Amino acid sequence: MHHYYISLLIFIPLLAAVAGLFVPAGAAKYFRYSTLFVNLLQCMVLIAMVMEYIPAQGMQLVERKDWITLNIGTWGILKAEYFVGIDGLSLPLVALSVFVLLIATISSWTINKNVKGYFILLLILNAAIIGSFTALDFLLFYLFFEFMLLPMFFLIAIWGGARREYASIKFFLYTLLGSIFILIVMIGLYISVHDPNYSGQLVHSFSVLNMADASNFISHTILDPNNAWTIGPMNARLWAFLLLFIGFAIKLPMVPVHTWLPDAHVEAPTPVSVILAALLLKIGGYGLARIAFPIFPEAAIHFSTFIGIMGVISIIYGGLNAMASKDLKRLIAYSSVSHMGFVLLGFASLTPEGVAGSVYQMFSHGIISAMLFLLVGVLYDRTHDRTIVNYSGLSSKMKSYTALVLVGFFASMGLPAFSGFIAEIMIFLGAFKANSVNGLLHESLAIIATLGLILGAAYYLWTLQRMFFGPYDLKGNIAHDSIYDLTDREYLMLVPLAIAVLFFGIFPQPMINIIDPFAQNFSEFVLRAGKSLTLNP
Amino acid sequence: MENGLSLTLDHIFSSLFELSPEVILSIGILLVIVVGLVKKDHAITTLLTLLIFSFSFLFVLSDLDTLQQPLLLFQGMLRKDTFSLYLSALVDAAGILTVLMSWRNQREQSHLQEYYALIITVALGAHLLVMSTNFVMVFLSLELISISSYVLTGFSFDKKGAEGSLKYFLFGSVASAVMLYGISLFYGFTGTLEFLSEEFLKNLAGNITPLFFIAGLMVVSGFLYKLAAAPLHPWAPDVYEASPMPVVAFFSTVPKLAGIGVLTRFAMTLKMADQSYDWQSILSVIAILSLTIGNFSALLQKNTKRLMAYSSIAQAGFLLIGVVAFLPQGIHFMLFYATVYVAMNFVVFIYLQYFEKNGFVTIAEFEGIGKTFLWPCVFLLIGFVSLTGLPPTGGFTAKLFIFSSLWDAYQLSGKNILLWLLIFGLLNTVVSLFYYLRIPYYAFIKNRSINITTNILAFENLFGLVLVLLILLFFFSPGLLMGWINKITFVSVIRFPLSVIG
Repeated sequence: MHHYYISLLIFIPLLAAVAGLFVPAGAAKYFRYSTLFVNLLQCMVLIAMVMEYIPAQGMQLVERKDWITLNIGTWGILKAEYFVGIDGLSLPLVALSVFVLLIATISSWTINKNVKGYFILLLILNAAIIGSFTALDFLLFYLFFEFMLLPMFFLIAIWGGARREYASIKFFLYTLLGSIFILIVMIGLYISVHDPNYSGQLVHSFSVLNMADASNFISHTILDPNNAWTIGPMNARLWAFLLLFIGFAIKLPMVPVHTWLPDAHVEAPTPVSVILAALLLKIGGYGLARIAFPIFPEAAIHFSTFIGIMGVISIIYGGLNAMASKDLKRLIAYSSVSHMGFVLLGFASLTPEGVAGSVYQMFSHGIISAMLFLLVGVLYDRTHDRTIVNYSGLSSKMKSYTALVLVGFFASMGLPAFSGFIAEIMIFLGAFKANSVNGLLHESLAIIATLGLILGAAYYLWTLQRMFFGPYDLKGNIAHDSIYDLTDREYLMLVPLAIAVLFFGIFPQPMINIIDPFAQNFSEFVLRAGKSLTLNP
Repeated sequence: MENGLSLTLDHIFSSLFELSPEVILSIGILLVIVVGLVKKDHAITTLLTLLIFSFSFLFVLSDLDTLQQPLLLFQGMLRKDTFSLYLSALVDAAGILTVLMSWRNQREQSHLQEYYALIITVALGAHLLVMSTNFVMVFLSLELISISSYVLTGFSFDKKGAEGSLKYFLFGSVASAVMLYGISLFYGFTGTLEFLSEEFLKNLAGNITPLFFIAGLMVVSGFLYKLAAAPLHPWAPDVYEASPMPVVAFFSTVPKLAGIGVLTRFAMTLKMADQSYDWQSILSVIAILSLTIGNFSALLQKNTKRLMAYSSIAQAGFLLIGVVAFLPQGIHFMLFYATVYVAMNFVVFIYLQYFEKNGFVTIAEFEGIGKTFLWPCVFLLIGFVSLTGLPPTGGFTAKLFIFSSLWDAYQLSGKNILLWLLIFGLLNTVVSLFYYLRIPYYAFIKNRSINITTNILAFENLFGLVLVLLILLFFFSPGLLMGWINKITFVSVIRFPLSVIG
């Protein structure tokens, strides 16, 4: 039976974007409602998809069509496919995307400047994000990955805040640099890998699944696992892994290549911040798990301590920076850096618990960060000021708002009963166990990482104390009449997120059932394949 | 003896029939001048030129379809093969696009027939240059291109034009002289001017001295000059800035195509004859220099034409990468790159001309025009994105291909310089993004209100739309074009010696 669920998810927003081009720019209502309609359609497709999904089955709902088949003489055939599918790694992220994009559309209702351009870019971004999370062909993945850049650039640069131009260019250059690293490895990989389904013909394949199988490498190519080249001090495969790692780490972002993130967040309009934090960062983690680790398992093992240490550094450094931030949005941006450090730590442990925790963390951070950025946006819409010290005692004037902020902050802190807790506890378990199970990470890393939780509690509680409790007062140029509690539209965006945060914190099992088979397979595969490949010194 | 003479005459006659596109162009030059004398109506001259280019284009295409094996014409002066035909077709296509661009350019109307005649002459020179296998022929066709170009540079008839023209002339004559000196040295080494002949290779193989190396560099530098590759690039920005926009678009494509064509042939010979000097590494260094100098200099430019000049220097570096690989697929991919380059370059220039007519010349003047000129700005953006090499445009596919062949070459030879070229080339993409996006950035992101009414159905938009669709097509199904290019056999001289004359 043929499934078109994934294609529907990708192409509905694209078609809507094309159709939108022909609608006069004055019809602001049309653009808002049509985007909302697209999001609702995607939700329905998603529900149908989840019903069909069988957790134990691995990659499924696969669609595979020939895209580019080029015969290049003696050199063989170059073959790229439209090849998409979902498994326990991508389903949570696709679900997250559909959900967060819907919320982002509702949050975009207040955008009044050039509505047509905004919503068309949003729709293109939508398709590119879902495409990245489902593509199993490296070229297709790269297409979607790059295709996110331009819409995002314009969304920040046109609808952003005061320093939007600086922030958007910084975002673009960092991400493009990362994607060039990925491109170098992609070129090397497809030249080195052939498709085993074609006997007698040399077919250079872009399929990620083919690349993950060491027996598909053509012997004596640079990246051949049995006989890899040495470039400078290191094996070519280690270089390739490192390039991929840096490319995705910029997106994640990992300290020290994170500096684009606070700027981009602070300047981006609220809905774009939400998408950036909740979805775009996840593509970094997703890329590591989908591409870098399975294709270069021995390099993943080789660098696991390094990755773990970088993760811990991100956790601590992000937390310290958050503590020192004066701007509320910058604080949350740095807390994102800190939380994405956990993702690195979990993957580096290569234990089922750690990997499942990382995927869960990506999902849960997606919901929590979306909620936090929306909460900041609510305040900013009212006062146009995000400086923490300018507020105090808000709880007396904005009761429901304060309640939701409490939910968001506690969830981000990793308190039990919130989704972040489940994710982080699994990561700690994995990282702690790693030394005794596979000897990749030292226990001390997990212990140091717990400091991140303490830092998180510190900066959130301190912020709560400064902004929401104590006597009601406003400093700076904030008008007192601008402070009022949540509107209906804001409830509509925030309450579902709060419910989701609680639901996945109290009933994690449905999600874990989806993630767990993937995590088991993944850690087992990377360890087995990585150990079987001999590393030339 | 008499028998020999008549045989030779027969050969020359039969050669002439094989050269129908070039004959059409030659007659066209005269026809355009004569018709221009009689009829002052500019539409007729333009149409005639368009017709001449189209005929030449069609003849080239039909030859490309039917040609079975390479032909040596005029006793080894020219070699007609699928490689030269493909480049000729591209040259004609660029000619057609230039004429379409000039169609509504008001400036040239006073000397329209001379203008078109010179354009056709440059195209004729390019046709001949990519076919040349004899140094004399190389020099003649190169000069045919150069001298016509000097005149075309000054075609806006102002002080700036005269200055640019003179600069071009001075640079050009030095480059020609140096190349001529190199050629004379080669003649001394080998006793023949036919650089694809066995004799040339044989005599050269026993003669590898440092002097040979210098002679090789001299000849290569003549080609690099036409290609506007570093370190022979300094003429380009001044000349581009002085020339009218259609001429700039023409200069950035046709002489480059001709230069890369003859360079490919000559470099293959050098590589084959000479094992002691590493021509692959030398060309790699030149490519790295072009990429780096072109991209970094472009960052500082304020004028759109100068920006595009440096961009074209950097693009020459990318074209060279295809040659540097010294692999059959490298040349195929280079041709693919060249094709995409023509399309994307013309998209950009069409709109730069369009905006120039509306009074936007420096980059800063593009401020805030994105709303008024929505479609032109979007098409311009797609052109620039393609030049940067981002998906989903043909520029990405071309870069992917060309770097694939480079990776392959590295895999075969293990030379570290090729790896450096790969890394430099790709990192340069990041640098190039910075300046390519400057104009769209000013247009879309800066705010300014202007009161100009625009017509969305303008000729430029239709023209641009076709090219933009082409660029997207090159991305989504590169197989269509590669199917054509794959038929091209770039066979080396050894397997097809002189005996296939006629």
